[in-house]
Amino acid sequence: MTKKITIFTTNTCAYCGMVKKFLDAKGHVYEVVNLDENPERQAEALEVSGALTVPVTVVTKQDDSQEVIVGFNLARLAPALA
Amino acid sequence: MSETETNNSKIWDVITIGSGPAALSAAIYTTREDLSTLLLDKGPVGGLAAVTDWVDNYPGFPDGIAGLELADKLQKQAERFGAIFEFGEVKQIVDEGKFKVLKTDVGDFKAKSVLIATGSDYKKVGVPGEAEYYARGVHYCATCDGAFYRDKKLVVVGGGNSAVQESLFLTRYASHIDLLVRSKISCSDVLQKELAKNAKITVHLGVKTDEIVGDKPMGEGGKVIKVIGTDVDGKKIEFPTDGVFVFVGLSPNTTFLKGIVDLDEIGFIKTNVHLETNIAGVFAAGDVRSGATMQIASASGEGATAALMIRQYLEGHAMDHEPLMATVTN
Repeated sequence: MTKKITIFTTNTCAYCGMVKKFLDAKGHVYEVVNLDENPERQAEALEVSGALTVPVTVVTKQDDSQEVIVGFNLARLAPALA
Repeated sequence: MSETETNNSKIWDVITIGSGPAALSAAIYTTREDLSTLLLDKGPVGGLAAVTDWVDNYPGFPDGIAGLELADKLQKQAERFGAIFEFGEVKQIVDEGKFKVLKTDVGDFKAKSVLIATGSDYKKVGVPGEAEYYARGVHYCATCDGAFYRDKKLVVVGGGNSAVQESLFLTRYASHIDLLVRSKISCSDVLQKELAKNAKITVHLGVKTDEIVGDKPMGEGGKVIKVIGTDVDGKKIEFPTDGVFVFVGLSPNTTFLKGIVDLDEIGFIKTNVHLETNIAGVFAAGDVRSGATMQIASASGEGATAALMIRQYLEGHAMDHEPLMATVTN
């Protein structure tokens, strides 16, 4: 079970849209951090993912452990949400 | 679809592998012909078009349209007529004669006909540092990663439409861009004029990219600091930068088809004039097809043509659902 899902996105990122569509289809609630609108949070995205790219999806589990998925990577995203 | 039927158990009239403009156009046609149509893709709906900042040459949009918005409109149009979308990576096509089985990471799917429209992806430039600093200073998607370079210096490698279009997009963020072009600029006249007007971009013709250099190794938190190139006189030139975007052409997404479908020497799918591959009932359209012109408008046209050829193929075959399996008798 997940406690919280956060997605780092930008306005023009197609892969971010795919992550959101996937989460919507599975009925998940998530927080969106738009880095175009909140550039001050870019360092946070880099720190959690180690990458200068979006989407970055942070799945926080009930035990507060986190799984970070970079890009639209269903092979990692789907199990992380299970 | 019955209550117990799923996308995996259903026998589809058409499955498209990919969901770019060719697949979406085909789906608009096939669903309007009442052919059940599933679009399977591991990437974003719209393919490379969806990650393209701006599309100025697609008919019907006099002011141009964002690639993501065009993809969204095409998807909505296909869905209006009943097209179904599924996330999944096709690993193999098994030809069972009348039916084709697509083996994917989300199970098997079965169809009477298949349209391969997997498109192409950006090529790597193939220099030291490129793989090491991937996503930490080396990028292939300006619309995804450009926002990390607000007020920073960038290098863009390439001289075609994509390189120039994406460089223009990146000037929203970057303070300056060095555009490294191996030979000469080969983009459209319109883009060349926009490029000439843009004071943030410096074009370097005849510069071969040799190496992407970081301040320290990636494992130690290194970041890209410069690109080293060679000019036409053989002189080494250094371009200090915070990041590199690479747009040096396209390579077809056909790795999973090797040994199954006939490919040309580069890896694009060979088809006949009906856009059919060497496997009866398996068609190809768009950027992945040998001879494609790599334009969104022509991919859409090929998708429509493929849809009509698929309809013709299906009409010529029995529409019952009996698979062509060997009969075992006692």
